[in-house]
Amino acid sequence: MTLDEFTRIIDLHGSEPAHWPKSLRGECESFVANNVEARMLLNQQWQVDESMAKLEVPSFPGLETRVLNQLLPERNQNFFEEVLSWLIPDEYFGKQFWRPAIAACIPLVFGIVLGNYFSFGIGIEDDGFQYWDDELAMLSLTDYTETNF
Amino acid sequence: MQAVCVGSRSAYQRLVKRYLKSISHYAYRLLGNQKDTEDITQEVFLRLWTNAQKWNTEKSKLTTWLHRITHNLCIDYLRKHGRMQTQDSFDDEAADSPSTSEESNEETNDKTKLLREALSALPENQRSALSLCHYQGFSNKEAAAIMNISVKALESAIARAKRSLREKLTTNI
Repeated sequence: MTLDEFTRIIDLHGSEPAHWPKSLRGECESFVANNVEARMLLNQQWQVDESMAKLEVPSFPGLETRVLNQLLPERNQNFFEEVLSWLIPDEYFGKQFWRPAIAACIPLVFGIVLGNYFSFGIGIEDDGFQYWDDELAMLSLTDYTETNF
Repeated sequence: MQAVCVGSRSAYQRLVKRYLKSISHYAYRLLGNQKDTEDITQEVFLRLWTNAQKWNTEKSKLTTWLHRITHNLCIDYLRKHGRMQTQDSFDDEAADSPSTSEESNEETNDKTKLLREALSALPENQRSALSLCHYQGFSNKEAAAIMNISVKALESAIARAKRSLREKLTTNI
């Protein structure tokens, strides 16, 4: 093992031998035992690690209250986006499987609703239905007295 | 999280209580001052509420996703304010922190002060990598995902950061 290799291990895993890679631990320990520079490096890193362990973040009094009390807006999705995200979900294979089928039905439902309310100038070709009042008038004029029962 | 997705405020509150400390500590380690940390932390949880549906449970853990939001917000903030290294400091706040005020050993105080200065002087990617792996307890793979870099790049950043801290601390002690 070279000093550069040992330095790399120290840089990546710190001064604690327990954190060194198992496969290299024995080699590293014997290298430290036989190399003054390695021992110096290890000691320096140990001091850095010790200082880092003592470094604390200040407390943030009132931050939790501030975050919890902040005004939560409605989700920033409009109706179209909500429908779209519902129809094409990011997760769950099951939902992904049947939601496209529902999406495909939407034009069909839309067409039925539209067709129910608008004729688009297409008339119903049933003469009997159109002249039903004439039919009634003709029936009323028929003389049924000649009929033999 | 599923409950937050459908708009449950009580579920949101539970998540805030669970992740607030971790998120605020990470933001503080990147930004180096209390006011900005509080603003960013508030924004992170606002994003959690508004973008809950964008979180992909299969892709990342919730804590990783939240740290990634924090990381991006901090980096944006630092770039917008034109300082890639925190100018104002850990120092003033360190004086107020209970751990420091309790320290009786002057030498330890000096070391801590030196370390804070050395950390402030690190480039943002090195500080972030060190913070995620050393303090936040993420694996290299998770930290790399949070920072959106490769594991090799992350390891390189950590190595450079530690080397830099070692040099600064040992030359000053």
